[in-house]
Amino acid sequence: MNPLPLWSLSGEARELGLVVGVLVGFGFGFVLERAGFGRAPKLAGQFYGTDMTVLKVMFGAIVTAMLGTVVLSGLGVIDLRAVADHATSSTFLWPMIVGGFALGVGFIVSGYCPGTSMVAMASGKWDGLMTVIGVIVGQVAWTGIEHFPAVARLQNASDLGHLYLYDLLHLPPKVGPAVVALAVAAMAIGAFLGAQKVEQLVRAKDGLPSNATPVSTTRMVFAGFAAFAVVGLATIAIPVGTAASARRVETITPMQLARRVLDQPWKVRVVDVRPMAACAAARVPGAECVPAADLGKLGLADANGVRELVVVGSAEMTAAPDGVKAYPGRVAVLDDGFPAWEAFALKAPEAPPPGASPEALETYRLRAGIASAMTGVKAAPPPPVPAGDAGAPRKKGGGGGCGG
Amino acid sequence: MERNPEQFWNPYLAGVALGLVLLASIVVMGVGLGASGASLRMGVAALGAVAPGVVESSPGLARAWNGGHPFDFWLSFEVLGVVLGGFLGAYTSGRLKAETLRGPTFPKGRRLLLALVGGIIMGAAARVTRGCTSGQALSGGALMSVGSWAFMFSVFAGGYATAWFVRKEWR
Repeated sequence: MNPLPLWSLSGEARELGLVVGVLVGFGFGFVLERAGFGRAPKLAGQFYGTDMTVLKVMFGAIVTAMLGTVVLSGLGVIDLRAVADHATSSTFLWPMIVGGFALGVGFIVSGYCPGTSMVAMASGKWDGLMTVIGVIVGQVAWTGIEHFPAVARLQNASDLGHLYLYDLLHLPPKVGPAVVALAVAAMAIGAFLGAQKVEQLVRAKDGLPSNATPVSTTRMVFAGFAAFAVVGLATIAIPVGTAASARRVETITPMQLARRVLDQPWKVRVVDVRPMAACAAARVPGAECVPAADLGKLGLADANGVRELVVVGSAEMTAAPDGVKAYPGRVAVLDDGFPAWEAFALKAPEAPPPGASPEALETYRLRAGIASAMTGVKAAPPPPVPAGDAGAPRKKGGGGGCGG
Repeated sequence: MERNPEQFWNPYLAGVALGLVLLASIVVMGVGLGASGASLRMGVAALGAVAPGVVESSPGLARAWNGGHPFDFWLSFEVLGVVLGGFLGAYTSGRLKAETLRGPTFPKGRRLLLALVGGIIMGAAARVTRGCTSGQALSGGALMSVGSWAFMFSVFAGGYATAWFVRKEWR
């Protein structure tokens, strides 16, 4: 199915994933430096109208990555919503508005943002080092008072969950992201042209030389954005996962389901088709309670089918319910239904002896994790893993990959 | 390569290059770029080493402290890359130099103090917003998160609202 993202890099192949982390960071730092973002006066120029590089680089990057993800999602390479749910934080509207304003104040006072201060530090700037220290101190201090009721109330106000611009437009799921990306690209080009005008006016008034970019390069970049936006729109016409109708239903065991739910929850969508009351009482972690008769309301035919759909019933099912047949991706049915899951997950497993085989440790880890998620009781940690065998569970970073 | 400290990349091409790095991170790893998350882990680790009692007395700090070693964390490796990339970029462009950047008439000591104060404000703010300009504005913005876009406009508003008061620092 979908080859990307390479979730294994944060699971089994974690060491390789960390190498990728260094490479990604390297590209990030190098480009920021070359754009001039290691120099506070250049960054500050954004707020005096003399140098709008911040706006140009930021919007250029956002539009590039946005068009890229939309096109790849349209081609069925990634599931945009599943990736976004993993890579972004929930929308806490008021904290983001108030905190964003404060961050902007800190930006113009220090001359950097947290990322660019690291680039400045790396290029020998003492002010960059001071900002890096400040960011650490500020974060630790605020984290230290986060449990105070007033702070917690501010911080957790207006939680709208994962909410995207295309959700606000109420467009069909396949069309929404492409339309938004097109609109943002158009808006960005407008902002670029406006920024160039402002720069030239302010610079002329201040007696500074022009900093105009060559018209040919500018045109090339704008044309590239337009071309990708058109490709993004065109992918709407591509049907994704057309082979679905010929597929037979697979069954999965509670153990296989536990592994998916614990390690790669973004890859599965668990739908519990038992009666609502039974599902509300106990269900697989992350499962949606959708009685079989209501399956039609999920709009599964329009979903892009990147996640595997696992159906949990009250007993063994020989065929998937009619309501999920239209789903374009893989569909699996839990072997022997919820009772099998209950037997597997609701009793805490016995800790394996020290020196147990990696398979036994892995089984224990999954069963302990599931049992604690289901019952709220934590099991003892597994015994130390033998050297050379990285069996540690993967740790998920904070929402935006930035707040930690 | 010719080293010219005054020479920067064309901002639009730099934007596309940055976008491709971000796209690679999202597509290959399933996460965006980040900067502030790693600093928290390192700061808490440092505080825990000198004053473990303080860390244990606060649930938030204790959570970050128990979250694992600061180097057992994807973002820490990404930040290591940022520092290496920034260093190499500065070295090859002739901008690698120990100095304090500020406006022509602004005193150095006050500039360093303001850099620290601004950093503290941003650190606290980045906790409230669940990410800074890299994690929220860039990564969340590219993935069209509503909160990220609200955040981004707010950052610009905060900057423009304050710029006049600190103009001597820069001009």
